[in-house]
Amino acid sequence: MAVLDELIEISYGCAVRVALTLTLVAVVAAGVWNLNWDTVLNLDFTGLWRFRVAIVKGFGMTLALTAAAVLCGILLGTLLAIAMQVRFRPLQWLVIGYVETFRNTPILVQLIWIHFALPVITGIPTTAIVSGVIAIVLQASAYFSEIVRAGIQAVPKGYWEASDALGIPVITRWTHVILPPAFRTMIPPLVNMTISFFKTTAILSVLSVGELMTVSGRISNATFKPIEILTLVALIYFVFGWLISLSARKIETAMANREAWR
Amino acid sequence: MNFDFNVLTIHYPAVLDGLLVTLRICLFSLLFGVIDAVFLCLGKLSGRGAGYRVSVFVVDFFRTIPEVVLIFWIYSCLPLLFGARLSAEISGILALSLLVAANVAEIMRAGVQSTNPGQLEAAMSLGIPAHTIWLRIVIPPALQRMSPAFVNFLTELIKATSLLSTIGVAEMVYQANVLGNRTFAYVEFLTLVAAIYFALIFPLSLFVRRAEARLVAQKCR
Amino acid sequence: MTDKEVVIDCRNVVKTYGSFTALNDVSTSIHRGEVVCVVGPSGSGKSTLLRTCNGLETIQGGTIEVLGQHMPGTRKELETIRRRAGMVFQSFNLFDHMSIRENLVLAPITTLGLDRSTADQRAQDSLDRVGIGNQIDKYPNQLSGGQQQRVAIARALMMQPEVMLFDEPTSALDPEMVGEVLDVMRDLAAQGMTMAVVTHEMGFAREVGDRILFMADGQILVDQPPDTFFTIPTDERLTTFLSKVL
Repeated sequence: MAVLDELIEISYGCAVRVALTLTLVAVVAAGVWNLNWDTVLNLDFTGLWRFRVAIVKGFGMTLALTAAAVLCGILLGTLLAIAMQVRFRPLQWLVIGYVETFRNTPILVQLIWIHFALPVITGIPTTAIVSGVIAIVLQASAYFSEIVRAGIQAVPKGYWEASDALGIPVITRWTHVILPPAFRTMIPPLVNMTISFFKTTAILSVLSVGELMTVSGRISNATFKPIEILTLVALIYFVFGWLISLSARKIETAMANREAWR
Repeated sequence: MNFDFNVLTIHYPAVLDGLLVTLRICLFSLLFGVIDAVFLCLGKLSGRGAGYRVSVFVVDFFRTIPEVVLIFWIYSCLPLLFGARLSAEISGILALSLLVAANVAEIMRAGVQSTNPGQLEAAMSLGIPAHTIWLRIVIPPALQRMSPAFVNFLTELIKATSLLSTIGVAEMVYQANVLGNRTFAYVEFLTLVAAIYFALIFPLSLFVRRAEARLVAQKCR
Repeated sequence: MTDKEVVIDCRNVVKTYGSFTALNDVSTSIHRGEVVCVVGPSGSGKSTLLRTCNGLETIQGGTIEVLGQHMPGTRKELETIRRRAGMVFQSFNLFDHMSIRENLVLAPITTLGLDRSTADQRAQDSLDRVGIGNQIDKYPNQLSGGQQQRVAIARALMMQPEVMLFDEPTSALDPEMVGEVLDVMRDLAAQGMTMAVVTHEMGFAREVGDRILFMADGQILVDQPPDTFFTIPTDERLTTFLSKVL
């Protein structure tokens, strides 16, 4: 925005830029000054090479869990969102209760709760991975239902009225009239939510489900060298998450261009 | 299955201690984080130079890596790198401050950049000095516009404090685990803790919903 | 007319956006007490010309002098010129989070150093002048479009400007509100205010304007007093334009 840039130019001047740079230099200098050079000089990232298979497997598990959360989340979330549209009060209250419970409590609590309570309730012992998948899918369905609900609400009222006027059957109305344009407006928030659940999978490591964070914990315990593996893992998460958001931006621009062409 | 909620009446003070720790961590990480966020936001707005590039990277980095990774990195790597011992709670506050700084900086930036350019032009054409434009024309409406995003992030922060139980900070989830181990009443304590989180977060979520609806209504007018 | 002091003087002004030329070698001047209306098809550069005169657009060639001051000059000089030249926008641009009173007194208090009671009094006078003195404690979104634009004019008047620039002041208004804003502008002109008005209101231009400029493709093609402008069109494109809007 040109005017804001002008305002920033006249008000920042050199003073603020220099101050920011100096602050930066001061922070870095203080950090370097206080570094424990024994540790830094003894860092050995090559030692991680022998764990490459474990790391790749862990990352594969992270991706699989993300995919499960997103796919099941969208599916269940869509069903929940449709259920919200049904004019039947008790059903609506039930859905609202479900969604709000899972959105307003931490996933860690849900995870442990499910892990401990489910065997008691059902009488069947669950493994860590089953508890983990159940927890992340339940939470994902709650979050995705909100996105789908907003997407459905963004569909113009005229679409509903027109399909009523044309006498289109209920199922066809959802599959052909309401959901396609709804999903198109939902793509940006869906991608953001995907990144969010990619990050959430790391929380499942408290049950040792074998994804990347679990693996890094095992390696760090085995080598007594947490810095190398944790830094590597942080970078893997960052690069991959950054790639998703980069592609999301590409999709958004492409979609905006396509809209502009019409 | 039989849940025995009577244990709660005996042990609830420990959970309340945990609640206190949770709130304390939120408060301090907000305090430090928002101060950092102002610097990062200034850096991102500056548009060029070293300050800009570093701010963009810092914001992207801490928004993209999982919170648990950040928490574990700070808890286990910082003491080794700097030879300083940090308590679990201090490590946790440090990690969450970074989380707050990155996210709030982004929220602030979006709030400032969504300023109506026409109002800026009007202010400039009146010859109002730059600092007055910031204080009277840009910042007050920007604060109002970013309040839903900020409160929404606050709910995320409250939920993120639960992750500090993994490094042994004695907040609510940690207390629930300890009490669960002692009494085997895991589910009872976890349910209580979940209920407390819900009571903390739900009003904030309601506020976000209302405020967002209000902003949409304002835009449509 | 020419013996009067020159208030705005544009010499060979060139403004480009990338490869698009918005103003192509434009020269004109406005004298004290004159009302100059600028008309032309959209995209002809008329708004751009007005905005360059207030330093809202930078120019790539030529010179602009406003009130004897070379534009844009230093930051302080630009601020001073902007205080002496009032600007009214198509979309009002009122500060929505402030009451009408605060909208009006903000600039005089912070730039002219007026004390609160003097500024309040001046705000009341300005609003009375545009005929909405009773709305001073409302907020912009409680007023109609016409009222908001009149507040915007009053806000510019608060600085006691020596020249007023109007950028399509009635284009965003519902038809029934155009008249009240034009009435205010007509009064200002009658009181001797120097005015540059970019507008589509041909009736207003004809009645109030001392000169009318016709712009197309970033150039001033016609510069005539109203009686000859409308009756003896000298330019083929002006003839086409007038046949469409009249």
